[in-house]
Amino acid sequence: MTRTRLILRNLTHYWRTNLAVIAGVAAAVAVLAGALLVGDSVRASLRDMVMERLGRTSFVVTAENFFSEDLAGTLADDPVFRQAFDDAAPLIAIEGVLTDETSRRRASGVLVYGVDDRFWQFHGMPPRPIEGRQALLSTPLAEELGTGAGDSILLRVEKPSAVPVDSLHSDKDDLGTTLRLSYGTSLTLDELGEFSLRPQQGAVRAVFLPLEELQRALDQTGRVNSILVSEPQNAAAVEADAEQLADRLEATIETAYTLDDLGVRLIEARTSGGEPFVSVESSHLVMNDGIAEATMAAGDRLGWDTWGVFTYLANTIRIGDREIPYSLTAALDGSEFAGGSPPGGTDPGGGTPIWLNEWAWDDLGATSGDTVEVDYYVWFEGGRLEARTSSFVLRESVPMDGLGGDSQLAPTYPGISEADTLGEWNPPFPVDLTRIRERDEDYWDRYRTAPKAFVPLEVGRGLWGTRYGSRTSIRLIPPDGEPIDNMIDSVRGALRDEIDPLAAGFQVVAVRAAGGQASGGAIDFSLYFISFSFFLVISALLLASLFFRLGIEQRLREIGLLEAMGYSSADLRRLFLAEGAVLAGLGSLIGAVGAAAYSAVMVYGLGTWWVDAVGTSQLRLELSPLSLGAGVVGGMLTALACIRWTLRGLRTLSPRSLITGAPNLDASGRTRTRAWRLAAITTLLAFVLLGLTALGWLADAAGFFGAGALLLTASLAAAWGWLGSERQSALLPERAGVVHMGIRNASWRPGRSLLSMAMVASAAFILVSVDAFRKDASGDGLDPASGTGGFALLAESLLPIPHDLNTADGQASTTLTSGEIDRLEETDFFSFRLRDGEDVSCLNLYQPNDPRILGVPQALIDTGRFSFGRSTIAEPEEDQSPWDLLNLEFEDGAVPAIADAHSLMYILKRSVGDDFVIEHEGRSVRLRIVAALSDSLFQSEMLISETNFLGLFPYEPGYRFFLIDPPGDTNTDVALVLEDGLADAGFDVMSAAEKLAIFHRVENTYISTFQTLGGLGLLLGTLGLAAVMLRNVLERRREMALLRATGYRGSDLAKLVLAENSVLLLGGLASGGLSAILAISPALVSRGLAPGVSLVLILAVVVVVGLTASVVAVAAIVRAPVLAGLRSE
Amino acid sequence: MLEVSRITKEYPTPRGPIPVLTDATLSLKRGDAAAIMGPSGSGKSTLLYILGTLEPPTAGSVRLDGTNPFELSEKDQATFRNQRVGFIFQDHCLLPQCTVLENVLAPTLVHPDRRTEGKRFEARARELLEATGLGARTEHRPAELSGGEKQRAALARALILEPALLLCDEPTGNLDSKSADTVAGILLDPEHRQQTVLIVVTHNSDLAGRFPERFDLAEGRLVRKQGD
Repeated sequence: MTRTRLILRNLTHYWRTNLAVIAGVAAAVAVLAGALLVGDSVRASLRDMVMERLGRTSFVVTAENFFSEDLAGTLADDPVFRQAFDDAAPLIAIEGVLTDETSRRRASGVLVYGVDDRFWQFHGMPPRPIEGRQALLSTPLAEELGTGAGDSILLRVEKPSAVPVDSLHSDKDDLGTTLRLSYGTSLTLDELGEFSLRPQQGAVRAVFLPLEELQRALDQTGRVNSILVSEPQNAAAVEADAEQLADRLEATIETAYTLDDLGVRLIEARTSGGEPFVSVESSHLVMNDGIAEATMAAGDRLGWDTWGVFTYLANTIRIGDREIPYSLTAALDGSEFAGGSPPGGTDPGGGTPIWLNEWAWDDLGATSGDTVEVDYYVWFEGGRLEARTSSFVLRESVPMDGLGGDSQLAPTYPGISEADTLGEWNPPFPVDLTRIRERDEDYWDRYRTAPKAFVPLEVGRGLWGTRYGSRTSIRLIPPDGEPIDNMIDSVRGALRDEIDPLAAGFQVVAVRAAGGQASGGAIDFSLYFISFSFFLVISALLLASLFFRLGIEQRLREIGLLEAMGYSSADLRRLFLAEGAVLAGLGSLIGAVGAAAYSAVMVYGLGTWWVDAVGTSQLRLELSPLSLGAGVVGGMLTALACIRWTLRGLRTLSPRSLITGAPNLDASGRTRTRAWRLAAITTLLAFVLLGLTALGWLADAAGFFGAGALLLTASLAAAWGWLGSERQSALLPERAGVVHMGIRNASWRPGRSLLSMAMVASAAFILVSVDAFRKDASGDGLDPASGTGGFALLAESLLPIPHDLNTADGQASTTLTSGEIDRLEETDFFSFRLRDGEDVSCLNLYQPNDPRILGVPQALIDTGRFSFGRSTIAEPEEDQSPWDLLNLEFEDGAVPAIADAHSLMYILKRSVGDDFVIEHEGRSVRLRIVAALSDSLFQSEMLISETNFLGLFPYEPGYRFFLIDPPGDTNTDVALVLEDGLADAGFDVMSAAEKLAIFHRVENTYISTFQTLGGLGLLLGTLGLAAVMLRNVLERRREMALLRATGYRGSDLAKLVLAENSVLLLGGLASGGLSAILAISPALVSRGLAPGVSLVLILAVVVVVGLTASVVAVAAIVRAPVLAGLRSE
Repeated sequence: MLEVSRITKEYPTPRGPIPVLTDATLSLKRGDAAAIMGPSGSGKSTLLYILGTLEPPTAGSVRLDGTNPFELSEKDQATFRNQRVGFIFQDHCLLPQCTVLENVLAPTLVHPDRRTEGKRFEARARELLEATGLGARTEHRPAELSGGEKQRAALARALILEPALLLCDEPTGNLDSKSADTVAGILLDPEHRQQTVLIVVTHNSDLAGRFPERFDLAEGRLVRKQGD
């Protein structure tokens, strides 16, 4: 005989009870490990999606400008590149709006790829020639549009503009282009139809068309905006060294790029005086400061003179009543005028200086000291063109054989430079060509774009400078005697030395590694499902503990005997713990199998019933041994802890009482008194809280929830007192007979009864109170403090809208017709700038690193609309809104930002005051969270002020996000007008409330998930209750047999058991449910929310199952022979 | 040597304490065998459980070979019971899941020498079972034994560690006269009780009459019966 043998004997002898314990532990482990597997499965599915959609792409090279597609070939041929990478393929990747002409269905936000054979070869697929204007669609897109073979489809895309849209010289009427394509076929995922460089869990809607066709449509022949780079196929552990590989790729780009790829042009020319020079210009017209500084440094490196030039178009140059129409002016550094020419700088005594070339001097009959007025247009960043006039004091004339006749000072202006005559000018702003005189045409013939007026550079910057820079070219002049042949090469070499192509626009993104990292997920579904399954786990563990406890109670005499033999408490604990460990171990092993089944059901649920929570049905089960092991071990340890907790009561029982079989397992009279006292105190406290709330001294939520929780405690304490007393008869009159006796029976084992009731009550309390967090998913409300900000409509456009839609001029500058403009009368627009990025709302399961950012207009900041949770304002002053914090300036250069509280907490995992760092143009930008919006429609983005937006992202053009306030009841009409009138811009309007409701639906789905799993827990608790009932009945089988012997029928016994079960089940449900209703009454009253259908269903199922379970207990009694029952001990 | 001095036991109730034993005093040496008689509720079992350290007295002391077990820690008290005291209850209290032999060996599982003396314990268990007439039933489960056999198995279990004090609570209470006679015979067999103080509580006067020492317990007081 050994202890092990004794344990084995015990385990096998009490196998029925032990099986129940094993089942409980198995259920707990299955749910716990299953929850971890759900998280793994979501992560693995997300990862699969990213990887499958990337094909063989590991890195992507992108740039702000379109660049030569030859760069891909240059990279691929580079020996250094070939050491670490396999292949490189160029493509155009943009977004567009696709319309099926047959079905008239429209899809916005479509990924548009211009590809050729190199793309398919890159991915190791056979070439898929796309003929002519054919387009291949991803299967989900083809299905969404209902596109059939040969259908004609219209693709609207943004046309890249070298000249920044928010500048005077951009053609704001030519921002997009439409391609008519014919549908070829659809491409499946395996055929790379869902190719995507950015992680997204939703279906990928993509269209593939011939690269050349797209290049032609975009006026970008031979140019692309992306290069895909792959690693050798045997490369292992890609993510580990992705950073190093990215560095190597960047180094390769540094040697392979051309200046043209950065939009830098070198022009070799001579002045009218015959001096050679090289002019460095930008395809943007205005050079950004980085390139300008690099050019200056290159000049210094070469030992050449450098001139910064900023030319601008004057509508009129006027002295008195004489004027010259449409002339170029040039702002130059003072040093360029060395040698008795204009000294530069402003003269405090003499006003702002200006110099005229000899032609203009003569034309205007000028004299030194004259006041010269210059009219010009300025494009305001708010989206409007304004005519302005500045006055200058005339200094001297500039000779025509020098700078005065130098047409090379001006860059190539679209619509101007290429015109043969002045009358053919077609600039993208209004000009009155009737003002042009004969002599102006003569000037154009002879001097072309030679500026007629000159001002110091800083004066020009002040008047015409933009966020893009303040130089149109830089002239590099070699010292005398420099050999002309090498001139442009020398400048190119020096510039390449000075320019960092990665800071100047090229960007290398390790998409595979980033995708893998993002697959870790913004939302940890393991934790969510552990939380959701909380009651299920607790119920299963309580059930296991309950059965273990019942098993021990069954063996109390044995325990007493062992104590009499000299077993100490520690010996007994060890013995039972060892038994418990075996049971927990067996339960855990079975639970491991159950975990796989549970997670499979949950993953199926996420892809179907709860699809709103994940937004994809493409989920697969991932059985990770690590998570399974962790869940099994965790579940087993928890079960053991519960078992140990169960054993704690043994210490207090006297051996004699154990041996004689009359242990007092339940409350003493003193404990019952305490229970009643506790019930009274907690009820009183609940009323105090309600009183304080009524007086307004306590917040509604805190007051009512506190009171509800106290009432739950009070009701359970009262139940404890009642079960332990002899007054259960008070519940029903004596004439209730058998039912009356059944209710009394609830006090047979008051401890067990209370445990069962408490389990049901707590679960009911949580399930009902959680329902209060259910958000209104129908969407309504025009309260400015609400989540919609009181806006009725919200819109996004594919193409930037550079105009101010609040002005008639702005509206007229768009494609809106006059009739449509009339229908927009009194409609207010709040236009936001938008930088595309990753969705930071609960709609995106991937962990975002590069968030979508909105530039908030000052107009919205001033309204103070929306509501805020927390902000960095400690004590807000009157009229101070957290919106104002967006205009703060931090000493460390951080940019103040606002995000929605939900996104901040659950997706970005930040708090107010924290920084979120994004990488932009090779530098880190620190966004400091200054406030959190409460439940707003801004859950997908981070918000910064428009001013800061323009500083950070100067090349993000126009407005693409709009909040719209239509007057009265015109929401639908305004939405229709805007979608029709601005269809070319891909203007998509939706109800702001609906947008908010989309987020609410996700949150509600989480609540439903919680309630469903909590409901399962409650159901398990109910089964526990039934088990307790059965146990009670078995323990009293002699009593039951006696009743039958005295003439009770089976139906009487059924009534007896049902009455007992009902009082506990309904008591628990009522106690938890009513306390919860009190807790959430403010929400119920203010929102008028009816409880969710699922909740009512869950509670109904619990009642039905609970009462049905009693039937099992009844059957057990009725089946038992009367005599055996009477003889049983 | 068992010395029981002025043992008092009261049970607290909401209506005040109920006295069960009052100044019970007793002194027995090894080899002595005593029967304690008394009506139901007189405190016989209470006295027995106090002597076996399963219940503490309200006042008074118990010493077995000079040791007061109630001065020991809970753990040492358990060891004391294991090595010095043997119990036999009216209801045999066998472990239903174990065989007869395993039941007899159950106390040895917590004996400090269980690892080195295992074989000796088993040999003694078999010897005791032979002596009690259960040699052929060692592998049987309690459910397969008659009442008398169960009680004999319980007796063998009580004697397995050669206790200094053997306490029997109505050992023949549930047995027919023949079985009761057999059990009493084994109990009083000098071979078994030479080194043991044997105390039996019973209201079976026939059984009590076979004991050299007899006490009456009435109204909580222990009175030695003289000259029977």
